[in-house]
Amino acid sequence: MLYPLLQASYWPLFIGRFHPVLVHLPIGFLFVALLLEIGRRTGKINVSESAISFVLFWSAVGATFACVAGYLLSLSGGYDNELLMRHQWQGIGVAAFAWVAWVVKSDLLGEKITIAPLFYLPAFGIATVLTMTAGHDGGSLTHGEGFLTQYTPEPFRSMTGMAAIEEQTTEIKPIANVNQALVYGDIVRPILEARCTQCHNASKQKGDLRLDQVAFMLKGGKDGPAFVAGKSAESELIKRCLLPENDDDRMPPKGKPQLTDNQITLLSWWIDNGAPTDKKVSELKVSEEIKPALAALGNGSVQREPNRKTVFSEKVEPANEEAIAALRKIGLVVNPVAQDQNFIEVSAINVGNFSDANLTLLTPLSDQIVWLKLGKTKVTDAGMEQISTLKNLNRLHIEYTAVSDEGLKMLKGLPYLEYLNLIGAKVTDKGLNDIAAMKSLRSLYVWKTEASDSGIIGVRKANPGLTIVAGPDSTVLSRFKRKPDSTAVAL
Amino acid sequence: MEKLLKELQHADLQRQTRRHFLQSCGFGLGALGLGSLLSSCGTSSAGKSVSEEGFMAKIPQFAPKAKRVIYIHMAGAPSQLELFDYKPELLKYHGKDCPAEFLEGKKFAFIQGVPKMLGPQGNFKQYGQSGAWMSDYVPYLQTVADEITFLKAMHTDQFNHAPAQLLMHTGSARLGRPSLGAWATYGLGSENQNLPGFIVLASGGQQPDAGKSVYGSGFLPSVYQGVQCRTGGDPVLYVSDPSGMNRDMRKQTIEAINEINRQTYEDVQDPEILTRISQYEMAFRMQMSVPEVMDVSKEPQFVLDMYGVKPGEGTFAMNCLLARKLVENDVRFVQLFDWGWDGHGTSKDHNVEGGLRQKCLESDRPVAALIQDLKMRGLLEETLVIWGAEFGRTPMQENRNGLVMPFMGRDHHLDAFTMWMAGGGVKQGYSHGETDELGYYGVKDRVHVHDLQATILKLMGFDHEKFTYPFQGRNFRLTDTEGKVVKQVLA
Repeated sequence: MLYPLLQASYWPLFIGRFHPVLVHLPIGFLFVALLLEIGRRTGKINVSESAISFVLFWSAVGATFACVAGYLLSLSGGYDNELLMRHQWQGIGVAAFAWVAWVVKSDLLGEKITIAPLFYLPAFGIATVLTMTAGHDGGSLTHGEGFLTQYTPEPFRSMTGMAAIEEQTTEIKPIANVNQALVYGDIVRPILEARCTQCHNASKQKGDLRLDQVAFMLKGGKDGPAFVAGKSAESELIKRCLLPENDDDRMPPKGKPQLTDNQITLLSWWIDNGAPTDKKVSELKVSEEIKPALAALGNGSVQREPNRKTVFSEKVEPANEEAIAALRKIGLVVNPVAQDQNFIEVSAINVGNFSDANLTLLTPLSDQIVWLKLGKTKVTDAGMEQISTLKNLNRLHIEYTAVSDEGLKMLKGLPYLEYLNLIGAKVTDKGLNDIAAMKSLRSLYVWKTEASDSGIIGVRKANPGLTIVAGPDSTVLSRFKRKPDSTAVAL
Repeated sequence: MEKLLKELQHADLQRQTRRHFLQSCGFGLGALGLGSLLSSCGTSSAGKSVSEEGFMAKIPQFAPKAKRVIYIHMAGAPSQLELFDYKPELLKYHGKDCPAEFLEGKKFAFIQGVPKMLGPQGNFKQYGQSGAWMSDYVPYLQTVADEITFLKAMHTDQFNHAPAQLLMHTGSARLGRPSLGAWATYGLGSENQNLPGFIVLASGGQQPDAGKSVYGSGFLPSVYQGVQCRTGGDPVLYVSDPSGMNRDMRKQTIEAINEINRQTYEDVQDPEILTRISQYEMAFRMQMSVPEVMDVSKEPQFVLDMYGVKPGEGTFAMNCLLARKLVENDVRFVQLFDWGWDGHGTSKDHNVEGGLRQKCLESDRPVAALIQDLKMRGLLEETLVIWGAEFGRTPMQENRNGLVMPFMGRDHHLDAFTMWMAGGGVKQGYSHGETDELGYYGVKDRVHVHDLQATILKLMGFDHEKFTYPFQGRNFRLTDTEGKVVKQVLA
């Protein structure tokens, strides 16, 4: 009949989703009509009955459309049936009584049937009351029951006999002592409450699934149980979070706040350990992979490297095509670094005679160049000033060049420089000292330079986050000189 | 007048015999069919893209962590149970009959009936801060334990060498797909204009069983196929000038040939002609560059000692050193094959005792040296080193034809084997996955060949699901319809 027809296309759902928009029109109109009526009857304002009638007419029209949209939305399913029915009939009631209120006042009936106007006020009143109750039930359907009064403050709370506020966090609070935390109560449930139970709870059960209690998760929904204890890889709860974002079955759906990798890891870990509801973190097997995720719970967020911002979080303008063409013309290799970013890498691998004079070609691209390879070229200290203007530079190769301490000093203001290859350059301890304090720097290669062992040790002390590789150290070489400690070589 | 026209029409229709119909339709439909056939071969569309973009890099989805790859393939498949996957429990079962559950419904390349279990032949210890298990078969690799990520629960679908090698390198056990190196150079382009982007070096006396297809370009333009260089003597045969021909004359000849080819290309638009043109140009440039890069006589003695090579040798160790020199010159993908790892126990050379020890003796030191060498030059963090084979070996001793083998050997095994990666974007000192106590099945974090390929592409900046090439009417990718990035191994 009608029902399969409605389900056959996306139209019903498309229109249905306008329900929350449309529904506010009759609410507003009705209350405006009510206020006007009160104002007129108390003599505070001058307004004609026909004006009120006009507003009432549009209330009725709005309510009718809202009803239709609401019905179409309800076809998508997942709502608490009892609540839904109540809401539906109240909504239809609003429309019906709004029509009655309008019609008894109108020329159609009001003038023909003398007792008709007697029904005006009762119908108007009922429509207004129903607006409020239907509105409230509608809110409960969307946000869950008790949403309105969840945070009722004292003393009203105890006066109405409500229980103390239950901490229902939508964002996960840091845990003071992770080892003593309850895996389900303190870690898993808050994640589910923050990201899942909004649509999978007692009153709204999308896909017939509830995630507010473990028993309901095991009972599952349309597609079976939410998880299989001990097997996270076979659990819908995890599988759906790992689907591509465009997949229809992906959860949470596209556009909704997503679970982080750590949160998925934690949920998988809980399931793999049999999904206990009473165990503490210390009672489960804590593997290497889970450690960072657990540690992140302690300070509330994942901060693997505090205070280190990578250059790829920056946004830059698209690179100037002509400038790129000019670089390619002299033989430089220019490649985009990644999609959706405008950064580029430039390499002089094919231009051995690249010199300081050529560096001005890089100027129009000073925001975009992140990786620059000038090893074995003819650049010198003079060119480093130009390099220092490439403010997003992340990796720099100037190995086997004539760059010395003077040039190196220029680079210390580059905020994102992480990799610097100075092998065979003319730098000494002094130059290294100048850049030792660069916070961004992670890897520094200084083999075949004039840097001394003590100088390198000094820099290592000054910047413990920096890895300095000074060529083949003697311990490494001695390992390769030594005969392998294998005694059982049978030939 | 009207009559005249009608007559004309009539006469014309009369002239249209059945033969005419067949003739014109035949040609027309045939041309239509041919047109669609050609385009479905990817000729016309790919030809356009090749001519328009040249052989430019595509834009990666992510910033690449591994800009270059050295893939070391031990053809024949070394035994993980002797080298990395320590199974003390297997020793207890040594010489006992294999449990029936391991044999039910299984097919092996050679094992028949009920084989005996074979205990590990190596002496295992843990090495490095990471406590990586390694045996005395690989005494040098122990020194770089903390650079390596092990994949202990690899598994594949194929138990014969050639299809398994094809699956490992091309994502399909059948012929015709591009290899990993071809995809890599297709995706990231070639940087050094004087060297091919994808170079193959083979050792061990034989080519891998799957032949050149393991480094072929499949349906990608053949400019992306691996170029095999010889290790001893002239690295590329016939690349030097013939006697009586000087370089200028050579250049003019090649230019003339290329001009003719270019005209042909404009006529027929076959992208393979572009490949031919660029190969001629490349060959001309390689005359200078290849002898230079392949010449190890200028390497310092301590480097030669590390690898354990003498100039002029055509060994696996030499190939490791050459691999370093090639990536130092920005060759995108270097593929090493070493033949002779098929330890069935059939002969003195092919077993998991002396024969395997001999292969390890020849290869362990240069592999470890390669990692050290890359590291001290600042290349390791940009270069991904992959070590592995097409499958693993059984925990059972081989009993070919129901006989006792003259040496201890193991059959091909596809359910569990070990591979490792180091450098460009993978964790340092990490072990992923576990096998059961006899090393038969992966029981935790299993990684399929397609998962590994997805992970390698991810490290090179590509989303394996989006990195595709249109051929025969659909988009192909390396991992076909499978594969999941192993996020845990990413640094």
